Amino acid sequence: MSDDLSMRLESYLRKKLDQPSLRVSDLARIPGGASRETYRFRANYGGADRALILRRDPPASLIETDRTTEFRAYQAFHKLGLPVPEPVALELDGAALERPFFVMEEITGCEVASILNPDPYGKDREKIGRQFWSVLGQIAKANPDQVGLGDFEGARDPKEAWHHEVARWEKVIDEDEREPQPIARAAIRWLKRNPPPPAQKISVVHGDYRTGNFLFNGAGDIRAILDWEMAHLGDPLEDLGWALDPLWAHGDPTHPAGLLARADAIATWEAASGLKADPAALAWWEVFASLKGLAIWISAACEYAEGRNTDAVNAFSGWYCLAFHNKVLAERLSA
Amino acid sequence: MKPEVDQILGISSGTLMGSLVPLLPNTFAIGSASLLGIMMTFAAQEYERGADIRAAENADMRTLFREAVSQVTDEKLKAEVSMAAATEDRSLKISALNAENTELRRVLIRLQAYAEEHGDRTLQRRIWDVLKASADRRLLRLG
Repeated sequence: MSDDLSMRLESYLRKKLDQPSLRVSDLARIPGGASRETYRFRANYGGADRALILRRDPPASLIETDRTTEFRAYQAFHKLGLPVPEPVALELDGAALERPFFVMEEITGCEVASILNPDPYGKDREKIGRQFWSVLGQIAKANPDQVGLGDFEGARDPKEAWHHEVARWEKVIDEDEREPQPIARAAIRWLKRNPPPPAQKISVVHGDYRTGNFLFNGAGDIRAILDWEMAHLGDPLEDLGWALDPLWAHGDPTHPAGLLARADAIATWEAASGLKADPAALAWWEVFASLKGLAIWISAACEYAEGRNTDAVNAFSGWYCLAFHNKVLAERLSA
Repeated sequence: MKPEVDQILGISSGTLMGSLVPLLPNTFAIGSASLLGIMMTFAAQEYERGADIRAAENADMRTLFREAVSQVTDEKLKAEVSMAAATEDRSLKISALNAENTELRRVLIRLQAYAEEHGDRTLQRRIWDVLKASADRRLLRLG
């Protein structure tokens, strides 16, 4: 299978990059979530050896995401100078490798934090934390039209951003829940009854900005923000609320993402974005974050239970993460 | 049965993650096998508690419905709450407990929405007590 995939990828890249003698080697699957199959490989052409990543659609995807969105987000923020891999090729036609895919630069010599690791950053916690919250602020600060992403899916009216996202994730729950979810339903009603103020601006929202979705090296430098597949337009507080969620806190919610203390994290984001994290508005987006989490985990459980995508990540998400966010929301909403 | 299923799963998970995963050739295989090991520890927890937490949750909801039925003025909902309160778990099979749980949860969702619409804070608090207890029981331990 890998040999066949390797040959087909080589054939595709020879044509796409106009490099008739290009050679693909060392193709190997690596962990990369349940919504894309991820492979690393080397491509030798033009006298150089390049480390690249292939991200291919699986037979069924966890959340229906558009690989064009992910590819264009990489293009836009790579150009802007943020730590993002350089995109190389996007193929929407399934003829070459059976399913759509894209190819991008591999950032080598780095690691990804597991959410199960209680102290993934060690002595570099503060240094990585400053970068993590600052990069998120820079994403929030970017003008979607100026970076070429003004046509992304999402809300364009600051007053509509919250409603657009609640409707989006309520629909996912409506379609994918295999058993009634009283806490998710209570959260949806609460979010609708207590809307936040309009967004300060419409930003590109990464959609899954969190610990575990960036690469860092041994010197404590963030080298790549990954997994832009849920990127859209919306309220920049959406990303902040998601990144602050206790599921990503490595067991210590006082240090969201396992990095800086909460107040320091928010101040770093504010300084980089030029925006304010109004406490009441942020509290709403944090409830929303846990509801969005529930929707994703419900969808993961559905994919697994119905046999469309039996990646163990889906079983873990639909079991552990679902139970975790039910508890978070029950505590928040009953207070 | 000795050894119990949870013990077998726990030891098997330890063997998988401690002895077999280090022998695997690449990061994808290591990551996938490690996650399967974690699933086995979850399954061990669920083997011991699965029937108990479902029976307790179903009992909590029925008790709540018995207490709440007199406060519901909507006739259709009142009938649903009353009927749900009178059900019982006839089997301790997980599938049977889940089927009961699904029906009870449907009524609970409607009752909670009703309590919110009517500003019945006492009933809302009581429902949240049931939901918090359910969320606590279903939480999984890592390691």
